[in-house]
Amino acid sequence: MKTYRISRRNFLGTTAAAGLSSLTFPAIVTGCSSEKGKKEVKVMTFLDQAPDGQELKAGLVGCGGRGTGAAIDFLNAGPKLKIAALGDVLQDRITACREELKKQKGVEVPDEKCFVGFDAIQKVLDSGVDMVILATPPFFRPEHFAAAVEARKHVFMEKPVCVDPVGGRSVIATARKAQGLGLSVATGTQRRHQRDYVANYKNVAEGMIGDIVSANCYWNGGKLWHRDPNPTWSEMEYMIRNWVNWCWLSGDHIVEQHVHNLDVIHWFTGKYPIKATAFGSRLRRVTGDQYDNFSVDYVFDNNMHVHSMCRQINGCVNDVSERMQGTKGSSNCINTIWDSTGKEIWKYEYPAGENGQPGTELKISPYVQEHIDLVTSIRNGKPINEAENTAMSTLVAIMGRISAYTGKLVTLDEVMNSEMKLGPKVFAFGPVDVPKEVPLPGEAYVPNA
Amino acid sequence: MKRIWLWFLPGVLVGFLIIGSGSVLIRRTSSNEYCASCHKIHPQATVSWKKSGHYITKSGYRTNCVDCHLPPHGQGYLAAKIKTGSRDLWSKWTKDTAKFDWEEKARLENARKYVYEASCLACHENLFPAALSKAGEDAHIYYTSKNKPPDLQCINCHLDAGHYIEGYVHTGNINFGKTSLSNLPSFSSAAAVEHFGSFTEQIPGSTVSFSMIAIPGGTFKLGSPDNEPFRNDDEGPQREVRLDSFYMARVETTWDEYLAFYAQTSAEGRSTDTEGLRVSAKTTDAITGATPPYGQPDQGWGKGQRPAISISFHAAETYCRWLSSITGKHYRLPTEAEWEFACRGGTTTPYFFGGDPRQYERSGIRARISHNDTSLINTYVVYNENSRGKTQEPPFVTPNPFGLKNMSGNVAEFCSDWYQSDAYSRYPAGLMINPRGPETGVERVVRGGSYRDAAGKVRSAAREFTRTEAWLRTDPQMPKSIWWYSDCFHVGFRVVCDFDETTGNSRKKKNIE
Repeated sequence: MKTYRISRRNFLGTTAAAGLSSLTFPAIVTGCSSEKGKKEVKVMTFLDQAPDGQELKAGLVGCGGRGTGAAIDFLNAGPKLKIAALGDVLQDRITACREELKKQKGVEVPDEKCFVGFDAIQKVLDSGVDMVILATPPFFRPEHFAAAVEARKHVFMEKPVCVDPVGGRSVIATARKAQGLGLSVATGTQRRHQRDYVANYKNVAEGMIGDIVSANCYWNGGKLWHRDPNPTWSEMEYMIRNWVNWCWLSGDHIVEQHVHNLDVIHWFTGKYPIKATAFGSRLRRVTGDQYDNFSVDYVFDNNMHVHSMCRQINGCVNDVSERMQGTKGSSNCINTIWDSTGKEIWKYEYPAGENGQPGTELKISPYVQEHIDLVTSIRNGKPINEAENTAMSTLVAIMGRISAYTGKLVTLDEVMNSEMKLGPKVFAFGPVDVPKEVPLPGEAYVPNA
Repeated sequence: MKRIWLWFLPGVLVGFLIIGSGSVLIRRTSSNEYCASCHKIHPQATVSWKKSGHYITKSGYRTNCVDCHLPPHGQGYLAAKIKTGSRDLWSKWTKDTAKFDWEEKARLENARKYVYEASCLACHENLFPAALSKAGEDAHIYYTSKNKPPDLQCINCHLDAGHYIEGYVHTGNINFGKTSLSNLPSFSSAAAVEHFGSFTEQIPGSTVSFSMIAIPGGTFKLGSPDNEPFRNDDEGPQREVRLDSFYMARVETTWDEYLAFYAQTSAEGRSTDTEGLRVSAKTTDAITGATPPYGQPDQGWGKGQRPAISISFHAAETYCRWLSSITGKHYRLPTEAEWEFACRGGTTTPYFFGGDPRQYERSGIRARISHNDTSLINTYVVYNENSRGKTQEPPFVTPNPFGLKNMSGNVAEFCSDWYQSDAYSRYPAGLMINPRGPETGVERVVRGGSYRDAAGKVRSAAREFTRTEAWLRTDPQMPKSIWWYSDCFHVGFRVVCDFDETTGNSRKKKNIE
């Protein structure tokens, strides 16, 4: 009976140069076996709060809904944490964020530390912060991440971390630079900081379901939000306000939203696919230029196939989850493991509810936990670096997108070496010179005259 | 008891002496001054080192000879030192150092033998320093990925790290071939050819012209007899071949000619430069030309009338198609039979100027003993004894009986035939008429030998073939280029033009594919 083993090489994927390792977080492989053939996998122990230490000042770049949420999560992560600066391209987002911070956390960010415009990132970095929280539309992430590392700041950045291959490579290189500089980088793939996921992962890694033979992941949900065009807005302002519906800003929903689940596949299997064949289309979306459903067959180098699907259409059955199929059983990745007959053999024990009934959720929200873990790593001098993993998961999502848009088989090599870069050349509040047609795969039927 | 100590102590002392003096010896023979004491015969080594980024540094730290030219301590340092030192001593005592081709030794394929990747990485632990540029980021991501070619090492791109190289470019050379406009008027049309005879072709839209020699058809013996010195088996069995008349370029395609093609058709970026597009490139109507090369294809020897090198077989074929389309004639690469027929110029001897190949050798003990006189071959052929390690321009040599220059030597030339070692025996028995080579193959025929070959390889019958994988080995681009070879600077081509209705042949109407 073969025990499931994660070799370090599998785990780290393509990085291989001597001395250059990007530690995957939070699992660390140990070589010791306790019983005959059974490997013990060490995972991180989670703290409920970050330890005390020197005051950490964070600057928030991208003050929308998620950014404001991330700032509040950060403040809730431990003692002596401050939001010291805000940056955004739009003034009203900054105003709304300041009000929310004041209301929820009693925090006041002074006027002179609020910066508006495309160059806000640089001003935030120069304003005397120790770290930055990057929560802009994903298009801007690679250049913001590079600027933050150049300025020697620790980083929390939201997923996805890029929208195109050029951005992806930039993030990978910046991540390695950050490692060389001893900076700590956490990304918004919060499942990796969820205690139930991590406990489940540990069991799978130690062989509870045997070898993984296939997997599925889903983000089938309803329509997300949108913003209608407004005559007082320039095209750039409209697109940024409606960013989640424009491919050049969000990467399309397979990248923007579904990357969470693809990252779990990457995490649990220790690999990422070498090629993809995908379908996709635009059935109900009426704004922007994106699709609203994707289905991808990802193939791995050991001939394993993983199916991924995602949807953003109202009124359909919904499912946001992942599952692993192993030789000895299966798992839903979050809290349950079954054997091959379908019998439940493990379930995560959630903390008990108020009246002592069995709990159904974690005490500490993973959105706060990810900040606790980042601050802990900064304060105890053991930097973490999640950026490269998230970049690879994002590139895998991009590979699926390109396959769906073109109707062709796409390999990860092609994506890794592609010069494709989305977005306009000029950043100003005016017209935006990008293609806006919805892509159509294949060829139209042309009848003979 | 004391007796034993008396025996023991001297041994310990001698041991310490040996170890002590051994380590002093190792250190003394690893200093820069010690290296320079022999390498003063090649002062360029020290001069170029002192101009390099490893000597002139922001930190003030200076890298020493053995830091790069020996592996790190504990990784085979001593063994490599003994091996290299012995080789250096042997060369000093037995070789004529004045004849060393230092430029050739400095090229990548040689440099990799005495520069150790482990030594680079011993100092350069962090391949992603904060100030790394975008090009550096992409390159180092490629270098650390699973897909990098096995012999990609640091000096593939950073060849000038330890020794300054004038004009060294290791990025996509997008300004390549962009020459200033000449004062001469451009040709508006190609040459008109009314009858069979040598003519000067003109490339429309450029100032470039070149000679095409009329080669009357005839019969000859392809291959070489069994007793020819330096003969290889693939040159036999000898076969009778009859060829129709054709035109052949007087000299190998020059940079001027190739750059006219490059300038008129080149594509920026890598849209045409992928392996996957090779198939479709043949069927497109418009001829998309070469993408910018990586580095210096002319090796810094200069362009102009020098033969174009580093170009791939695909590029040579595309050049011919382009030349045909703008001149209205039918240009192509020569077949192997046409090539040998033209090279022999009606002779049956190993070289068209006669003589025994063995008497044209100069290197090796046997040659030194027999005091060979190479003045005859020197007038006709650019080969390893007279080339000084680079290609030469046409005035360097005298033409052969057909009026062609550098068929033998200078650069080896592509032929259109697929190469097979037993090609000559595969044809049906009897007279071969206009043979075009095997139906299929993996590599193409290359003929004539080059500036770096010895006398045996520049015989009329000598056969060679393309080594596509080896010639692209250090191409750092992914996918590899289809227009340029990264590791081949000794192969070029010359064009042949069909004698048909477009070139004065009113009698025949040939079908050209």
